[in-house]
Amino acid sequence: MSKKSVTAVVLCLALAATAALAASEHPGKESIEKSGYKGPETCEECHPGTAKAFLDTVHWKHASKVTNVDNINPKLEYGMKNRIYVMCNGNDIVNNLKEIPKSPVTGKSKFSGCNTCHPGNHLSDVGSTGPAAAAAVDCLVCHSTEYDFRQRKAFKNEKGEVVMGQDRSTKAALAIGKPTVKNCMVCHEAAGGGVIVKRGFSFTKDTDAHAAKGMVCVDCHKTKNHKMPTGHDPNNWANDGVFLSCADTSCHGVKPHKDADLNRHSAKIACQTCHIPRTGGAFAKDFTVWEQTPDKFYEPTTLKKEANETTPAYAWYNGTVKNTPHFIGPKGSRKDGKSKITPFKIFQGRAYYNKQTGELLSMDFAQPMSNGDTRAGVLSAAKTLGLKNPEKIAKEAVPGWQTIYFGSNHLVTKTKALYCANCHAPNGVLNFKDLGYSDKEIVKLTSPELYMEKVAKKQKEEW
Amino acid sequence: MKKAVSVMVLVAVAALSILCFGSMASAGEEIKMVGVITKIEIAGPDAKTATATLKDNKTEQPVVITVNDDLTLDKFKDHRIVEGDEIRCKYEVIDGKNVSKLFRKTAGC
Ligand code: HEC
Ligand code: HEC
Ligand code: HEC
Ligand code: HEC
Ligand code: HEC
Ligand code: HEC
Ligand code: HEC
Repeated sequence: MSKKSVTAVVLCLALAATAALAASEHPGKESIEKSGYKGPETCEECHPGTAKAFLDTVHWKHASKVTNVDNINPKLEYGMKNRIYVMCNGNDIVNNLKEIPKSPVTGKSKFSGCNTCHPGNHLSDVGSTGPAAAAAVDCLVCHSTEYDFRQRKAFKNEKGEVVMGQDRSTKAALAIGKPTVKNCMVCHEAAGGGVIVKRGFSFTKDTDAHAAKGMVCVDCHKTKNHKMPTGHDPNNWANDGVFLSCADTSCHGVKPHKDADLNRHSAKIACQTCHIPRTGGAFAKDFTVWEQTPDKFYEPTTLKKEANETTPAYAWYNGTVKNTPHFIGPKGSRKDGKSKITPFKIFQGRAYYNKQTGELLSMDFAQPMSNGDTRAGVLSAAKTLGLKNPEKIAKEAVPGWQTIYFGSNHLVTKTKALYCANCHAPNGVLNFKDLGYSDKEIVKLTSPELYMEKVAKKQKEEW
Repeated sequence: MKKAVSVMVLVAVAALSILCFGSMASAGEEIKMVGVITKIEIAGPDAKTATATLKDNKTEQPVVITVNDDLTLDKFKDHRIVEGDEIRCKYEVIDGKNVSKLFRKTAGC
């Protein structure tokens, strides 16, 4: 048997095994059917300690210690809870879920806040601890295939507190299993302010080679005790301390190709560079000017593309991150022995800066969403964060731009992977000069000499 | 597959701009609209098609959209998309039906 058919057989077996597992019923079903679903305590009968342990994960805390980023305090925790950047110019704290002021046009209000993408009920919110928090975890949003999303909405309870609803029906609890793509995409597909906005993240058979093979998120993001492995995206700092990469030996290793010429490149070129040639989503936003939408509320002016419509920017990346008020992105160089040429999605956003300190300010969206007044949003955020002289800060705040780089780690393709001439032609995708190659080297790197024979042979084979 | 690579290579060598997949979406006569859903009709959990009526924000007229893609159908079934949601939609007229090519909630930041 050829190597290829062996792989095929192994793959089929693996798929069959996964399918069998998925089809097998959750052993807790009968018991849940009998006693009904009362929240995590029901699960705890057989999975003790799960809810409490979950409280110590990024998905609950929206933060963790961060060791690879410049200009932050290594003793503190960072994440969506408290970061300030310009993809979404707020965070869970300043943009805490609430009812926004009534629209002066329609007299209507609505609920808005970053922490809607949290598996709690808002009374037990991002980073909360203790028995009430453990009881508030929405296990089913990740584990049920029968979740009714009409229940997952903000509302006010009898005490006037804003609560995030959950589907706690027994029906949903009877459909327990390993998380599907949909479970994860409940929050991930609309990160950044709408479907595909942040990274053009679409995971379908048309947009991703792994999705086309029937793989799901957790086939790669293999999770133990709810610690979710992640990569080193320069703009996704919070992590559970476990990491994954395409080149992991459990996945592909560093020599996945039969062609040694391709394998040789992986010393200096990240897998993603060749295999994720496109990116997408929003490429610019203006938080200083909000546009009125048909419902008379406002949203930040946003320029966007489809999932696969933009070309990435390429930069050397060694896993450490430059973090300044006007730039958050990869550090690295050709010479440091650790960096690889890596693709990024570039995004630029305009927001307000503190006139005195030059720091990027954050914004509460409640006011601008209601009436377009962006400085009122800056004022509210400055107050929430306890900045001194919030009125003065808001009044004097200066608009400015920040450029951020997002990792580009999905939308994998085999058929459209970059091949020799995509890079080594004079008008190739890489700007060798910007990447630090000398003129003499560039002459060599852009000569067909490098690939003529090979590509000619390939061409001949095919015709 | 091999063919795809070589075609790519040919294109790349000859092309004005490498990797020019262009804007893949804009092939046919697509009509764009934004509107609020006033009605969703879907026949049970196994339905392969559904219709959604949108009130066009510009003209205030109801437009009936036929939805066939699995992802959107799934969002109707589990109620991630419900009546009252505002939708950005692209559709094509095929055999007198407005067939959805893109059907997305307009959620802001
Ligand atoms: C009556 C006991 C019982 C109850 C109650 C119970 N489970 Fe389980 N569950 C099991 C057993 C047994 C297994 C299989 C062994 C294992 O993985 O621990 C399992 C497996 C699982 C798995 C792994 C499934 C897979 O395919 O990978 C998940 C996820 C899970 N349970 C979630 C839950 C959730 C969420 C609840 C609460 C709604 C719950 N369980 C309630 C007994 C129970
Ligand atoms: C309830 C909303 C929600 C659901 C459901 C959800 N996520 Fe997340 N996820 C988030 C948010 C919010 C963050 C960012 C937190 C931060 O960085 O502060 C995140 C971060 C991550 C990260 C990077 C940080 C880390 O913990 O490693 C990965 C990877 C991830 N999610 C994968 C998944 C997968 C896989 C699933 C499905 C099993 C999933 N998520 C389901 C909201 C969600
Ligand atoms: C629809 C769910 C959702 C909403 C609402 C949401 N986020 Fe996020 N956010 C995510 C997910 C998922 C991630 C992590 C994955 C990623 O970056 O793609 C994330 C990551 C982040 C990060 C990076 C965190 C880190 O660890 O570095 C910041 C900052 C952030 N969000 C800010 C915001 C702000 C500000 C808002 C509200 C204005 C907001 N988010 C609302 C889902 C959401
Ligand atoms: C943010 C999504 C998310 C939430 C919320 C969540 N889980 Fe999980 N859970 C996962 C993932 C991912 C896995 C790993 C699945 C895999 O790799 O097969 C998992 C695995 C499990 C397992 C299998 C054993 C293990 O630990 O790997 C059990 C049992 C489980 N979860 C129970 C629960 C319970 C109980 C809750 C609520 C207290 C809960 N989960 C909430 C994502 C989640
Ligand atoms: C084929 C394997 C694979 C699958 C399937 C996969 N991921 Fe990833 N994901 C990765 C790898 C590898 C990285 C990190 C790469 C790096 O930084 O080097 C990553 C990174 C991430 C991150 C961090 C932010 C970013 O984009 O870099 C999030 C969040 C994430 N994945 C969520 C998901 C979700 C949600 C799904 C399912 C819809 C999913 N992933 C499916 C391999 C996968
Ligand atoms: C210099 C560009 C380049 C780099 C870097 C690269 N690949 Fe590839 N890869 C390709 C091309 C082109 C193909 C398609 C080859 C073919 O089908 O003949 C391919 C094919 C593959 C395949 C399918 C192999 C098969 O026989 O079907 C896998 C798996 C793969 N690459 C994984 C990786 C991983 C993992 C890395 C990083 C360690 C990586 N690649 C780095 C260009 C690259
Ligand atoms: C993603 C872009 C990319 C692709 C695709 C690519 N290369 Fe390269 N190649 C590079 C870069 C960058 C270098 C320089 C690496 C370094 O700094 O060592 C390089 C180096 C080389 C070298 C060494 C040149 C020297 O003198 O040091 C050869 C030979 C080469 N490539 C041949 C090929 C062939 C043959 C293919 C197709 C199978 C190919 N490359 C595909 C980017 C690419």
